[in-house]
Amino acid sequence: MTLAITIGIMVAGGVYLMLQRGMVRIVLGLVLLGHSVNLLIMSAGGVFRRDLPLLQFGTALTAGDPLPQAFVLTAIVIAFSIAIYMLTLAASGSDDDTEDAS
Amino acid sequence: MVLLILLIVLAVTVASTPLLDRLLGRNAGWPIAAVFLGLTLLVAAQAPQVLGSGEPLEFSRPWMPQIGVELHLRMDGLGWLFTMLVTGIGALIMAYSTRYFPPRRRFGFYFLMTLFATAMSGLVLADDVVLLFVFWELTTIASFYLIGLSGPSASRPAIRTFLLTAMGGLALLAAAVLLIVRTGTSQLSVILADTSWTEDTGFVSLVAVLVAVAVFTKSAQFPFHYWLPDAMAASTPVSAYLHAAAMVKAGIYLAMRFTPAFGDLLLWNTLLIVLGLTTAVVGAVFALQQHDLKRLAAFSTVSQLGFLVAVIGVGTPEALVAAAVHTVAHALFKSALFMSVGLVDIQAGTRDLRQLGGLRRRMPVTAALAALAALSMAGIPPLLGFISKENLFEAFLHAPGPAWFGPVAGAAAVGAAAFTFAYSFRFVYGAFWGEPRGDAEERTASEARPSFWLPAMTASLGGVLLGLTVPILDTMVNEVALNATHEAADAHLLLWHGLNAALGMSAAAVGLGALLAWRSRSGDALAGRDLVPVTGVWIFEFLHEGIVRVGRRTGDLTRTDSPAFHLGVPVVLIIALASVVAVVGLDLPPVAGQTAMGLDWLLVGLMAVAVGAAVVTRSRMAGLALVGVAGFTVALWLFFLGAFDVALTQLLVEILTVVVAVLVLRRLPKKFHRVKRSRTALTAVIAIGAGLTAAVGAYALTGRREISAAGEYFLGNAPEDTGGTNVVNTILVDYRALDTFGELVVLGVAGLIIIAVLHSSGLLPVHSSRRVVVGGTNAAYPPEDNTVLMRTVGRFLMPLLVLWSVYLLFRGHNEPGGGFIAGLVGGSGFALLYLAAPSDDRARIRLAYPAIIGAGVLVAAFSGFLGYADGSFLKPLHAEIPLAWGGYFHFTTALVFDVGVYLAVVGVLLTALNELGLERGEGSVREPEGFRTDRPSAQASGDDAPALDGSTTGGNR
Repeated sequence: MTLAITIGIMVAGGVYLMLQRGMVRIVLGLVLLGHSVNLLIMSAGGVFRRDLPLLQFGTALTAGDPLPQAFVLTAIVIAFSIAIYMLTLAASGSDDDTEDAS
Repeated sequence: MVLLILLIVLAVTVASTPLLDRLLGRNAGWPIAAVFLGLTLLVAAQAPQVLGSGEPLEFSRPWMPQIGVELHLRMDGLGWLFTMLVTGIGALIMAYSTRYFPPRRRFGFYFLMTLFATAMSGLVLADDVVLLFVFWELTTIASFYLIGLSGPSASRPAIRTFLLTAMGGLALLAAAVLLIVRTGTSQLSVILADTSWTEDTGFVSLVAVLVAVAVFTKSAQFPFHYWLPDAMAASTPVSAYLHAAAMVKAGIYLAMRFTPAFGDLLLWNTLLIVLGLTTAVVGAVFALQQHDLKRLAAFSTVSQLGFLVAVIGVGTPEALVAAAVHTVAHALFKSALFMSVGLVDIQAGTRDLRQLGGLRRRMPVTAALAALAALSMAGIPPLLGFISKENLFEAFLHAPGPAWFGPVAGAAAVGAAAFTFAYSFRFVYGAFWGEPRGDAEERTASEARPSFWLPAMTASLGGVLLGLTVPILDTMVNEVALNATHEAADAHLLLWHGLNAALGMSAAAVGLGALLAWRSRSGDALAGRDLVPVTGVWIFEFLHEGIVRVGRRTGDLTRTDSPAFHLGVPVVLIIALASVVAVVGLDLPPVAGQTAMGLDWLLVGLMAVAVGAAVVTRSRMAGLALVGVAGFTVALWLFFLGAFDVALTQLLVEILTVVVAVLVLRRLPKKFHRVKRSRTALTAVIAIGAGLTAAVGAYALTGRREISAAGEYFLGNAPEDTGGTNVVNTILVDYRALDTFGELVVLGVAGLIIIAVLHSSGLLPVHSSRRVVVGGTNAAYPPEDNTVLMRTVGRFLMPLLVLWSVYLLFRGHNEPGGGFIAGLVGGSGFALLYLAAPSDDRARIRLAYPAIIGAGVLVAAFSGFLGYADGSFLKPLHAEIPLAWGGYFHFTTALVFDVGVYLAVVGVLLTALNELGLERGEGSVREPEGFRTDRPSAQASGDDAPALDGSTTGGNR
């Protein structure tokens, strides 16, 4: 429930920023959207088991689902590389306006 | 085993072409020819077994066992015949090429020709439809590049040829898929022996049509015949090999191979006979019309292939005997003819019949070999071409179908043969007899050196020799007919069959042909005239252009430069979809366990504040900072959810994103662009809709089941499987390492693209509103003094950070850490150095960061290849290394893989810092006034694409 609300807030903010004019806001929107999707993947794994999946320290019986965690870890790094690439686009050529100045 | 040796020797030859080319230049053809000759002898030595006792050679090895596809090779009589052609003619062409080309290196040519020979051998030996298809496509690709080697003027012909033959390849693929699905096996000999599908008329007709399309495109049959003359843009050795003797025979091979299944199918018979004979007649008429010797030979090939396709369509063992003999005869005389075209072209400087004439006096050997080849083609005894044509006529008379069909087919064949005689006459008479018509150069042409004409002479004499000793082919053709029809044939090839219908038809063809040659002044009266209003090339370009235009029109429907539109539409569609589901309703299981804990609400509140403020603010810097706060909140969420590794990664990524983003933001204005109020309202509505959809979706669709089976497995088995106790890390580097590897490549590519983008379009200068202006006397001015603290801290912290990152890397398998986190920590060390530097010059990182990215990907790939030692790519290997102080260190190649991850992450961070953080030279900094002026031009070139973009639409060239 709480996670779902967080996801909703982030998606709303992300979509709003993404639909604005200017590359930087689009990037910020996509970053938010990326975060929210990561949380959604975490949510798909279930939020009722919240122990670390480190078997040296805990038991497998209460550990969180490690699969979505691995997915999200990968996704974070990819989202990062895409974000810095898009920021590069914002800072090259002309300024970061994405629409005609009409 | 022989088959495997054959293919391996060919593959090794392909691999050695770069070396041979470097050492020998154009003479690389000699050793390659020697290899081909050796293979020809090897194949010939199999004749007693394959032909004599009728036992095919087989070889089998698992290739894709999961889907039952094997590397299954099989050489029966049919395969033997075509392998002999590929290697034997290949040897001649390779020897010929050494003298055809000027003395220069010919790497591309020899590489592609040997590659083609390998593909073609594989094609005729494959006993698996998937394998057959792969080799079939490989010949198409080799042909494309070989045509393209002839320079820019050959690029359109190469593309046209490729698209057409690739279309045939798709038909073959469809047929292969249908057959595999229907029969449950991909083994060709089993499929062909299976009668269950051949009795289903609808199914067999569909497959027959698909196979026929593949045959017609590959073997240049009407209405696809035009690609072959078009492909004459290739160099003559290529034409002689691919477009006369070998590749176009792939279609013939396929038709013969599938005859057991389709031989009794009237649709197949009719299709092949009607279109084959049409092609034979049309090709022969066009051949007579040509001025260019090479185009004449090309249309002649089209026509002869028409004969072959038609006779295969007859489908009786006798017809297949005729097809086998004619395949041999055609390969010999047509390769000889093409090589003689090359001889004339090189020695006389032209192959235009209007310039040539009387060459026999100065090039007697070339004249003799061309005449012998042409006589064989025209069907004059005692050459092999005579015998094969007799057999063709005989077979046509017994064509299946209504009683009148055989005689009509025979008459058409005689007509085509008459034209064949006439154009053969035109070829020889026009070039070698009469008086020279051109200017000085053609008049002083001299005979080529023996090493140049010898290969052509060999092919030409082969036709004579086999004609005189034709009974030695009996065993071979009978075996081929048996393989191709599954019915025994009992042919006895003879020069003299007595007075029969076929002899009469031969005589009629020669007589009519002679009359035609005389009346048309050996074709000059017809040459160059347009008999039909359109050419095949024109039709192809028309269709091609039309398809491209339709595609562009379709794209125009949604074409806009505004990203907001592209990004908005999918979001609106998702909201609509969700609304529909909300109205219809879903059956949901109850929520599993507790989904909200007290402390969670704190995070919800934090997030609401951060996002709300980020949406409202008009300052870029504030927006970035607030999104950063949202990112930290996400990291906290991940901590709360027990995803320790992920939270660490998120935290580090968040810091580094802010570092990189600040480098970008200082080049941009302080405020965001203004937008209209109405647009703000609309986007707010969409955003709230999307947020509601996401929240409700997340609540309704997740967290309603116990832990996933996969997760359960990983938790239960990770320590035993991988030796690591950090389950998330073991998933990344052991279980799903291929995913991680893909991600690594994406990361590396992003780094390289950043470099590429900035090198092509330049970096903006620091924005005027962000330049800090302080006087020289101000205490804030001297950078050295003001960075003392940072630099001192950085000097000690940097080595510690690097050490710590290495420690994190090594312990990642068991405790929080791993390649990503370690790489990000190492990267932060460099970010610290950058931030502490007093000047751009000192901040510059002098490491070859693209090389670090590349090294990361290579190290990861290398660890993946190590996995082949134990079965598959990226399979981790384990070793217990005893330690000096007792105990064991558990070493796994997954650690090597993680080192690759580490390097790539560090490399990308260095790239971002160095490329975005530093000012470039004055040259790349453009004046702000320039920006406005180049926008409209970029706009215009986008809109005018249809008019400018000739390269994709083609145009009538």
